[in-house]
Amino acid sequence: MHQGMDVRGSSTAFRRAWTALAIIAGLSIAGSALPASGPADEDIRLEISPRICTLTGNEKQCATPVRAQWRSKHDESLCLVILGRPEIRQEVRHCWEHYTAGTYTIDLVFTEDVVFQLRDVSLDHVLASEALRVIREAIQYRHRRRQPWNIFN
Amino acid sequence: MRTQRRVESAVAAIGCLLVASATFAESECTASTAECVAVGSWSFSVALGAGVRTNPVVHGQDIPLVLVPQFSYYGKRFFIDNLDPGVTLFDGESNTLSLVASPGYDRVFFYRSDLQNFFVFSPMSFAGGSGATGRPPPALQETPATPHALPQPARKVTYLAGPEWTFKHGSLTGQVDLLHEITGRTHGDELRAAIGMPVGSLLGGDLNARFGITWKSASTVNYYYGYPGLYAAGWALNPFIKLGYSRPLSKKWQLDAFVHEERLGNAISDSPIVDKHYVTTAFIGATYIFHQ
Repeated sequence: MHQGMDVRGSSTAFRRAWTALAIIAGLSIAGSALPASGPADEDIRLEISPRICTLTGNEKQCATPVRAQWRSKHDESLCLVILGRPEIRQEVRHCWEHYTAGTYTIDLVFTEDVVFQLRDVSLDHVLASEALRVIREAIQYRHRRRQPWNIFN
Repeated sequence: MRTQRRVESAVAAIGCLLVASATFAESECTASTAECVAVGSWSFSVALGAGVRTNPVVHGQDIPLVLVPQFSYYGKRFFIDNLDPGVTLFDGESNTLSLVASPGYDRVFFYRSDLQNFFVFSPMSFAGGSGATGRPPPALQETPATPHALPQPARKVTYLAGPEWTFKHGSLTGQVDLLHEITGRTHGDELRAAIGMPVGSLLGGDLNARFGITWKSASTVNYYYGYPGLYAAGWALNPFIKLGYSRPLSKKWQLDAFVHEERLGNAISDSPIVDKHYVTTAFIGATYIFHQ
């Protein structure tokens, strides 16, 4: 009785494992075919400079020219899209047709991370992505010197 | 020995208070306020006005006050407050313990070029030489022969260093410094203690009052006010009171005025080179804050 139950249990475990593998495989195939958020094309390299903006003291926003540079082993037709700035998202798009490299420089004012993406001309596929991070330096405070003894303080 | 015991007792008392306060310390500085400052920040301001510091030394001219610059920098531990550098060992909600160094104060009456007189710069500040007035050294009245020609001992720049405890209790702020001379001139000790408190508002500004004492050991007093073979001073206790007024005029300007009255201890006022019992410092002017 106990043995039979064990056999049936093993058989059930095998079926479940195969089912899981099949689901994973199916998801992987389907995932590769998804248009908007698939893995970046490894043949295309995107670099941005600077990559980090550090806010110190009372600084509230970053204001800096940012250069985005890409290169590929093959001719590419693609567009650079800058995310994180919805108010000008449509404007900040620069496209190239049949190029192996490109550079785009823009003056940006921002308070949060800004994402630079290379997409195909239909804007559906993300080919490469880099983020310009904003780091706020933690401000520490301490007491001023209390000096009632001093004549001029 | 008695002095040493007093100092040890005071240090022990401060230690107990700090331990107690550390236990109950609940919050820290979280913003830049009148009490708190951002680590790494500095400030610089200059008060332009008119004032005077009386000189108790015989023939010593009063010291005019025209420009009063103020500078400070606060690191995480290190700070410099005008001529006083220091290291903060503990910074709690109500109590702060630091090690500080501070120049000996009395030299200002003998040398117009003393650095502390730079921080109360007047047009004659760098007339140079000994004697705060640029005139001959102060005479000793009791000296039988040619008193005006009596040579004065040099009084070098001295620095004192030691623990400083500052605290806040309600609207009261307090300060206690236990200092020992570290530049090898006087080998003396000094206790500086004061309490400050707001006393009201007037014409859109704030009035405040301060009371305090300065205790100076015999060797400190002797270095400045003694004379070999003629006058050997003992320790001196100088109490003082100060009334101050401050009123913001704009973001960068504020009106400042104060009167500070210090009574010289008997060991100082009894000196033959001193002919006043009090030192009065008064100033009124506009302060421009260059950076804060």
